[in-house]
Amino acid sequence: MKLVRTITLLAVLSVAMITLSLAQGGAAPAKPATPSSQASPQPSQPAPTISNIVDRQISLVEKEFVEAAEAMPDDKFNFSPETLKLQGADYNGVRTFALEVRHVATANYVFWAPLTGDQIPPGIKGPNGPEELKTKAEIIKFLKDSFALGHKAVANLNAQNATETVQTFRGTQPRLYLATFPVAHAFDHYGQMVEYLRMNGITPPASRQQ
Amino acid sequence: MKTLNALLVVLCLAPLSVLAQNASAPKSQPQQAPTFSAVVERQISNLEKEFVDAAEAMPEDKFNFTPDSLGVKGSEYKGVKTFAEEVRHVAATNFQLWCAVTGEKPPMDLGGDNGPESLKTKAEIIKFLKDSFALGHRAAKSLTAENVLGTVQSPFGPQQVPRIHLATFAVSHAFDHYGQMVEYLRMNGIVPPASRPQPQK
Repeated sequence: MKLVRTITLLAVLSVAMITLSLAQGGAAPAKPATPSSQASPQPSQPAPTISNIVDRQISLVEKEFVEAAEAMPDDKFNFSPETLKLQGADYNGVRTFALEVRHVATANYVFWAPLTGDQIPPGIKGPNGPEELKTKAEIIKFLKDSFALGHKAVANLNAQNATETVQTFRGTQPRLYLATFPVAHAFDHYGQMVEYLRMNGITPPASRQQ
Repeated sequence: MKTLNALLVVLCLAPLSVLAQNASAPKSQPQQAPTFSAVVERQISNLEKEFVDAAEAMPEDKFNFTPDSLGVKGSEYKGVKTFAEEVRHVAATNFQLWCAVTGEKPPMDLGGDNGPESLKTKAEIIKFLKDSFALGHRAAKSLTAENVLGTVQSPFGPQQVPRIHLATFAVSHAFDHYGQMVEYLRMNGIVPPASRPQPQK
């Protein structure tokens, strides 16, 4: 991710949070946090909320990830670097592009569902998600639905409940951890998908000249 | 439940299997109530382990590798970062984001998009990287329930950005580049350390 993208993302986040807060009628916590005096928000800017911050992070990864997934043509959706037979490379058994997408969507469900109380989709039986999802259209729908769950999962996150724990498939975890882990996880696989795209002569949408 | 258990097993074998942390903790260890600081600290530690291990896995003589050099037919790698630049970029961004949280000054001129050009060797760049994570831990430790929503000036402009965003965004940003570095390693026949078979516990 280039510096300009970092700057843009931060700028977008700042503006978006303010806009969102205003759109929600300044839905700041009833008892705002107490920032240090030098970092106090301007009076005209409603205080950010944990929900807005994490929601924007989800939106950022959602945009880059979905666009990257959509950028891979249908006939290359099952591409694996292993097929290139690069001399000296070790791509034995790595995920195909399609499996990268299914895996991330699956993890999204597994981590966000405990926050909403939703059941994970019944087809999820392993880290690569439902085997019955084969086409690009089916997999991208699964992906988009997983991000929709993410937005739902953080809608009620706040400074008071963010560090509360909820029951997961493995013990209890803090809400904030479950909410933010999928973002970092998806960026990891996004980075890999970027390389898969470039191997096929496709510049990732987020890296194209704006 | 069987599905969940199966998923648990396979997810925990994957890289980023951070939930394994709790599982490996001694059962007698008293559980402390989570805090913002602890949650972010855990995220940074997970990232640091995978990222530093990956950086160290690339041999010195390939540290400036770029996929462009492979000449893969039909590929588009023009102008992408070298492996060394990926590491420098992430470390420099870590300093920018986490210095904003702690109020510290970066240890040197961070340069442009690819970080300080003066850092050339693998040893120099990895030290720079490790120092950036040390800062990250200080940033995480500084977070409290009272200040996470407090804003500080963005290192990239006049915007005011909440501390919790700066602290956690650095992790997501680094994982983007980690994913790219994983591919650079595999192109050179190196399985990323986090993807190697782990010894059974």
